[in-house]
Amino acid sequence: MHFAAIDWFIVVAYLALSVAAGLLGKKYIGNVSHYLVAGRELGTYAGIATLAATEIGTITFMYNGELGYRYGFAAFAAALISGLVMIVVGRTGLVIGRFRALRLMTVPEYFERKYSRGLRLLAGILVAIGGILNMGVFLKIEGEFLTIVSGIDSRYLVAVMTAILLLELVYTVVGGMMAVVITDFIQYVLLSVATILVSIYAVHHAGWDNIVAKVSSTMGSAGFDPVENPKFGITFLIWQVLLWFSIHTCWQTTAMRVFSTRSPEISKRVMTWTGFIYLGRGMLPMLWGAAALTLFGTGALDNGVPLPVVDGQTLAPIDAMPAMLASILGPGIKGIVVAGMLAATMSVNSSYLLGWSAVISQDIILPIREQMGKPALSSRSQIFVNRLANLFVGLFLMFWGLYYTPPGAVYLYLNITGTIYLAGTFICVIGGLYWKRANTTGGYLAMLMGAAGAIIPFFFLHWSENITGFCAFGLAALGLVFGSLMGQRAPTLKEAE
Amino acid sequence: MNHWLIFWTVSLVIAGVSFAVITGIVMVKGYKDLRLMFSRLAEQGTHDHE
Repeated sequence: MHFAAIDWFIVVAYLALSVAAGLLGKKYIGNVSHYLVAGRELGTYAGIATLAATEIGTITFMYNGELGYRYGFAAFAAALISGLVMIVVGRTGLVIGRFRALRLMTVPEYFERKYSRGLRLLAGILVAIGGILNMGVFLKIEGEFLTIVSGIDSRYLVAVMTAILLLELVYTVVGGMMAVVITDFIQYVLLSVATILVSIYAVHHAGWDNIVAKVSSTMGSAGFDPVENPKFGITFLIWQVLLWFSIHTCWQTTAMRVFSTRSPEISKRVMTWTGFIYLGRGMLPMLWGAAALTLFGTGALDNGVPLPVVDGQTLAPIDAMPAMLASILGPGIKGIVVAGMLAATMSVNSSYLLGWSAVISQDIILPIREQMGKPALSSRSQIFVNRLANLFVGLFLMFWGLYYTPPGAVYLYLNITGTIYLAGTFICVIGGLYWKRANTTGGYLAMLMGAAGAIIPFFFLHWSENITGFCAFGLAALGLVFGSLMGQRAPTLKEAE
Repeated sequence: MNHWLIFWTVSLVIAGVSFAVITGIVMVKGYKDLRLMFSRLAEQGTHDHE
């Protein structure tokens, strides 16, 4: 067992504090806008904390650590693009300024305002499928991290992750966005402290010069030059720019923070400053991965990179970083870091639970009810439906998330599952906001062709992630343009009442 | 390769420093933000208006 008594104390104290603080959120839930978008009262700094905490999880550290291990400094290009694109979105207000002004609660809601209720339903279904499949791999990978660092027997992995998921569910179901914002603040502070501590320890133990030398001797110039690296190249870089523009504007959990701010101006400030955090969110764990390669990369070659060997046991590249933490962190520090990683895990999972369940309730269940001619639900009943959807998503994840293993690098799997709906959604949103001819026929074609462009090439034709990404965005754009030019005149956008 | 190494080193330093500085600012001002949010919500009450 790697954990000392002090480490257990820190972790248990954090869990108790987090759940107690989350349950406080219930006090402020009066209507559905409190439950889903915190009454639109989020200020700049709390907004930065909740947005950063939502998009920085143990899963983020794991996949970025894996990228650093497999591709060295060249992987930094993905982190740089994600941060710079976010800063551009924040400075220009691209999409997010209009989204906030429309007083939306979910991304698919925009589709009914601009296009039709049917298209909102289709977008809702694709968003929910893509989002839940995306989140589906989180639990298992987070569990691997915890078992490796803490030394918990892997037989207890399912029980530990189930317990953590249940804790998240308790406060998310009860307190909605209010609970998530409060816990995100605490979790952001802890995960940031852990990130800074681990970065210092990793460089101190592996040595900067040694890291550079190991990447250089293992990968040559491809470990530094993302254009030369065979896994990346120009196509990857352009796809990443497209993908990150779509994520920062249309990813449900990110967009919910934009919807929750007090004004469009605050949403732009939140996005701009979180963009700087995104640089560290990617690059720092990638550095940990390169440090793990330096310390443990002595095994047989796997795609040109030596597998990590720890205490005579060969591990998968994604497990090298947590194995390094188990080895270099001392008592007390390890407790703080694991509490920080648990904080990261809980903040992401609770926000994602809320995000995807909001889509299921607001964009699938409620439109279907209205289509069937049933009367509109009161705010209190909508909160109840949201809570049920939250429970459903949580239970699904418990079974799917713990048993499914993604193929290849996790980062790329997450990119592709996100692209299933992001390609069509982003094209429809950009077209709807900035092109007068965009209409409902074009919207349907964009959503369907974008999803087909992600699913068929990747899962059936086994094309590379880069080409699949291009294909999805290209087909979605083609669908919107073709359908809009062929269909009837575009409807006007319904503004907020 | 050297150019790339210099570029990534500078990028990493900017990323690390901005991460730490923004975290410090958010820790202090985020708490005040949350208190303001709660007081505004308490003033609004729990009306079923949206």
